[in-house]
Amino acid sequence: MAAQANTLGTQKKGFLQLLRSRKGQQAIIIVAFMIVPLALLFTFTYLPFGEMVGYSFMKMKYIGDRKFVGWKNYASVFSRKDCFSALKLSLYYMGGSVVQLVLALYLATVLSFKVKGGNIFKGFMFFPYLINGIAIGFIFKFFYTRGFVFDTVLQWCGFELDNLPYWLKDQSINNISLVGTSVWRYFGQNMVLFIGAIMSVDSELYEAAMLDGANKFQQFIYIILPSIKTIVTLNVILSITGSLSAFEPPFVITDGANGTGTYFIVMHQIAHTQQKVGLASAMAVVLLLIIFAATILQKLFFKYVFKNAEDEDFNATKRRDRQLAKLAARKAGR
Amino acid sequence: MKLKKVMALTLAAAMTFSLVGCGGGDAQTDAPAADDTAAEAPAAADDTEADDAADDTAADDAAADDAAAPAGGLTYASIKLGEDNQDITTTIKFIHHKTDREDDGTMADLIGKFNQMYPNITVETEGITDYQEDALLRLSTGDWGDVMFIPAVDAADLPSYFVPYGTVDEMSELVNFADNWKDAAGNCYGVGYMGNAQGVLYNKKVFADAGVTTLPKTPDEFLAALQAIKDNTDAIPLYTNYAAGWTMGGQWDAFLGAITTGDETWLNQKFVHTAEPFKDNGDGTGAYALYKILYDAVAQGLIEEDYTTTDWEGCKGMINNGEIGAMVLGSWAIAQMKAAGENPDDIGYMPFPITVGGQQYTTAGPDYSYGINVNASDENKAAAMTFVKFMVEESGWCDFEGGYPISKTAPTSFVFDGVNVVTNATALTGEEDIMNEMNAESELSFNAGGDAKIQAIVEAAATGSQSFDDIMADWTAKWNAAQDELEVEVQY
Repeated sequence: MAAQANTLGTQKKGFLQLLRSRKGQQAIIIVAFMIVPLALLFTFTYLPFGEMVGYSFMKMKYIGDRKFVGWKNYASVFSRKDCFSALKLSLYYMGGSVVQLVLALYLATVLSFKVKGGNIFKGFMFFPYLINGIAIGFIFKFFYTRGFVFDTVLQWCGFELDNLPYWLKDQSINNISLVGTSVWRYFGQNMVLFIGAIMSVDSELYEAAMLDGANKFQQFIYIILPSIKTIVTLNVILSITGSLSAFEPPFVITDGANGTGTYFIVMHQIAHTQQKVGLASAMAVVLLLIIFAATILQKLFFKYVFKNAEDEDFNATKRRDRQLAKLAARKAGR
Repeated sequence: MKLKKVMALTLAAAMTFSLVGCGGGDAQTDAPAADDTAAEAPAAADDTEADDAADDTAADDAAADDAAAPAGGLTYASIKLGEDNQDITTTIKFIHHKTDREDDGTMADLIGKFNQMYPNITVETEGITDYQEDALLRLSTGDWGDVMFIPAVDAADLPSYFVPYGTVDEMSELVNFADNWKDAAGNCYGVGYMGNAQGVLYNKKVFADAGVTTLPKTPDEFLAALQAIKDNTDAIPLYTNYAAGWTMGGQWDAFLGAITTGDETWLNQKFVHTAEPFKDNGDGTGAYALYKILYDAVAQGLIEEDYTTTDWEGCKGMINNGEIGAMVLGSWAIAQMKAAGENPDDIGYMPFPITVGGQQYTTAGPDYSYGINVNASDENKAAAMTFVKFMVEESGWCDFEGGYPISKTAPTSFVFDGVNVVTNATALTGEEDIMNEMNAESELSFNAGGDAKIQAIVEAAATGSQSFDDIMADWTAKWNAAQDELEVEVQY
């Protein structure tokens, strides 16, 4: 007992000393500064999220009684027809994001070299990103209306109105129309990010490559792309997770009707019109897990894809490693 | 150093604003709570008000003793417009919610007409934007003016705030919906300024051009009329307003109940206990017939070409100009459609084309109702009642708004010949919440924002992806599952 008290005493003394020391002071400052953002982060992000996870196990409305139902909500997320069929629509948006990234990368590469009026082009292409998403919805609602903007422009190009589809009514293309609006909105932003990354590439590399006889395409593949892979990875991950949670275009333009209800729209309807808060929370948790999985898969994918680009030659590395090992062995043997 | 300061300030500002943002969210959720206090305030004020009322009646008696003063036996029925109360010189104040009519000069016109008859009574008006809440708050002060549109007040509190117009029996002979604001003693305290009814908005000229001379009374006749419009005119027979959403569920569901079944208790009492509410009755009645009209109209190509891009604001001008034959909307929409173009006289309103047992039904009720301040002076009470009677009987305001008539004698363009005007009965005591629960559980949300299910009917009909009977079978399955889940007894 006595010994224990003794150690406690020395510990206490030691702790106080530690606090007074330089290291201790540093720690106090760090904790004191961190506590505010951490508290905010916890209160406004993790606490509500934890609550939501709790809701997902209950049968509840916004007001009134709550009843614990265990995994029932999760079971109905997987058994209901509308939840996962809505996720299929995300494929349209993923396809759109591929188009969007390729387009952005292409234009970014072109614009990062000397182009006449390059800044104006950049401005024009970035501009849609600055418009409010709701406003974009209304713009495109009229854009796609029969006989309005889009049809008129196509008629100038020689199309007959009778041969044109109904852009929002025809269920085989209305999702593509909606994806188009989201590509239009976001590719400028992607492009600007890519341009920023490409700017950081040392221009001497291009000169060296040119002297070696590499053409522009080879420069792109072997210099630009490896140099900006971080930002490419980031953009792909953001676009894919964005596609899984697409909401604004279908919500504003079609109200999620006519086969355009994405996962988020279905969730919104269940949570707000039907007031099945527990089920909607379960949907949100499931979506979160799906996004986690998708992100991890992408990470792994890029790790594999960019491994070759990183090293000059995979076999060369192996050979060098072997030689170094031999050398070390010889040294050790001596 | 300076940079750091600026950064610190910016950060602080950002944090404050983010907190303010959260506070804003709270304020919104608080709003209903404010409502409650507003509703309670009058109750708290009750006692003193009642005393005042007692004083007033005492004063009335005294005045009656002095003779000449009309206040003692003041009733709506006894006032002869243009003859009585000509000697009163006073100023009365009227508060109302029609800010649009205040702004466009309609209110001033109406009062001008009143002053031609009663030049000595000056009427001040005030349009209030957030009427329901504001009116309740003002009502509790007692000093709000002389005439107001009655906000949500319990029937038991009516005598402490308002002057009775007479007994309900007596008033029923003069106006519609006299029993809407009545106390336990059977006195009438409110007279509506216009009524709202459920039916179908149509363009008279388009119907005439199409050769439709008698208004359709059954689903088949309605579809035939739409077909005639398609064949004989360039107009869109039925405009769905699909894209707006609320124009689908909110409008079509409104016909459930007495209009489709002829049974006033069906919607709020029997519906939740019905095993097969969506079964085909075979005679063009019931919920099945109601939604089948929409399905058939879409399937037969009797709607706009591209329903996904319909435009609510645009449709008003289109029906006014004869580009649309009919739209399914409540009578409140008539005024908007009339105001949207140069042919207000072409806009007509017909009962919903479902006939039950040889009889068409519509549900109707009053919009806001005029109430007269019980605390006003006798002179003002008399002037106010004269004003109300003028507004109801002579001003033509109700008709101007396209409302269902309030006065039984005033001329009206609202023709609902041979239609039974009924009100859906309220839910049985103890079962008030079942409909809400059923709506949520079945996810069909009748009269509660269930727009998606009606939009789905349009989609299924347009693409042929699902037959109407399958949709109704789906609904029945959902309804029955919800009944099981909530343990609602099936009785019908």
